[in-house]
Amino acid sequence: MNKGAVPILARLHSLQAPVRILSGGARVIAEAGSPNPVAQILRAVNETMLARSLEFRSSAGSSLTLDVDGRRVLRLTASHGLPGAEACLGAEVLEDEHKDDLIKLMQALAGPRPEIRVVTGPVSRDGAEVSVGLPVALLADLLLIDLNPVGPDAPDAEAEAVPASEDPPTVRLSGASIEVFAQAIGPSLIAWLIRGGAGDAARAGPEDMVSHLQGFLDEEADAVIRQLDLVSAAPGDPACLLLGVTLIEGHSILCARLEDRLLLGVIEGDGAQAVLTAWRGLLA
Amino acid sequence: MAVADSLAAVVKAFPQARLVAFADLSARMILSSAGPMVTTQEHLDRLCDQARTSFDDPMFSLSVQAFGEPHAALLLGPANLRLFLRSEEEPADAMCCICDHAIDLAAFVTKIRETLESITHGG
Repeated sequence: MNKGAVPILARLHSLQAPVRILSGGARVIAEAGSPNPVAQILRAVNETMLARSLEFRSSAGSSLTLDVDGRRVLRLTASHGLPGAEACLGAEVLEDEHKDDLIKLMQALAGPRPEIRVVTGPVSRDGAEVSVGLPVALLADLLLIDLNPVGPDAPDAEAEAVPASEDPPTVRLSGASIEVFAQAIGPSLIAWLIRGGAGDAARAGPEDMVSHLQGFLDEEADAVIRQLDLVSAAPGDPACLLLGVTLIEGHSILCARLEDRLLLGVIEGDGAQAVLTAWRGLLA
Repeated sequence: MAVADSLAAVVKAFPQARLVAFADLSARMILSSAGPMVTTQEHLDRLCDQARTSFDDPMFSLSVQAFGEPHAALLLGPANLRLFLRSEEEPADAMCCICDHAIDLAAFVTKIRETLESITHGG
């Protein structure tokens, strides 16, 4: 077993967490005797938006390796211990004519209801030029499988299911400027400056603090923008990062971006709620 | 109490919390999560990466210079807020949360801090 996995597994065990990870980075997606292991295979494919290789290993010894991308099965790259894989293996890209063969392979892998593990890896070939493949939703429909998890591991059925999309396009900002945002925070924002874009630079607060912020931005503005891009749903999106020892007392550093304007400031005390309220004021 | 039960208790107490997760930042891995938000493994991986990035330079260095090592990060976006708390004793242990903007932030931060320290000290 990978030595790096040992402390993680020990931690999971101590936490009584239900996740199971095995040697080689394999993750158990269906326990032995699971009523519908094919559903678990399709759900694993359905989770994959980025191009990846998924190798499904049965505890009975057989395996299937699929290149998947954007909830589509692009191709079958390997098959062990399963008859009838030739047609799919020979296809550069799986198409509608392959769906029955692929389903049979999945059913053969899952037939004796063994434990099934998945190992993730890079795709065997660049899938960027491929825009087709077999949609997992099509395979699920043919097998009458619900791709949303059900059963004891599913989210609380009474709870509202919330899409995981971080910043859905239906959310809009009011169009207020970053200056308005700074003013709305109020006295908790004890020192700040705004720069970038076509608007005028602005600053307020004790000069020694503002000068320090100014010097930081002079050297690190590009890196700050990169950091905001990395934590945003998309580069250039509106974002506000507040960093502090506790956020609810002491001081925190505030960095916000609206369009191409950047605000850097210092928040005093329990000003995080004021920042949040001011941010909500930006939402249309 | 198992970690899953601890996280579920937070979600129950704060309906605006859509996802509450416990992560090992050094392993880049969400170890357990709870909440009504439907997530895939990729979403959880990205949330963990966002937590790591929030506690990274250049903002991390500025914070250290200004007032000491930060253990809390609040990330506001158009659709929701994300709260990341690191354990003061085990900095790799972290809570990663996605919430509606309407949440009572002070109460939530306090509850998440308590939960994190409880998990770090053995659940």
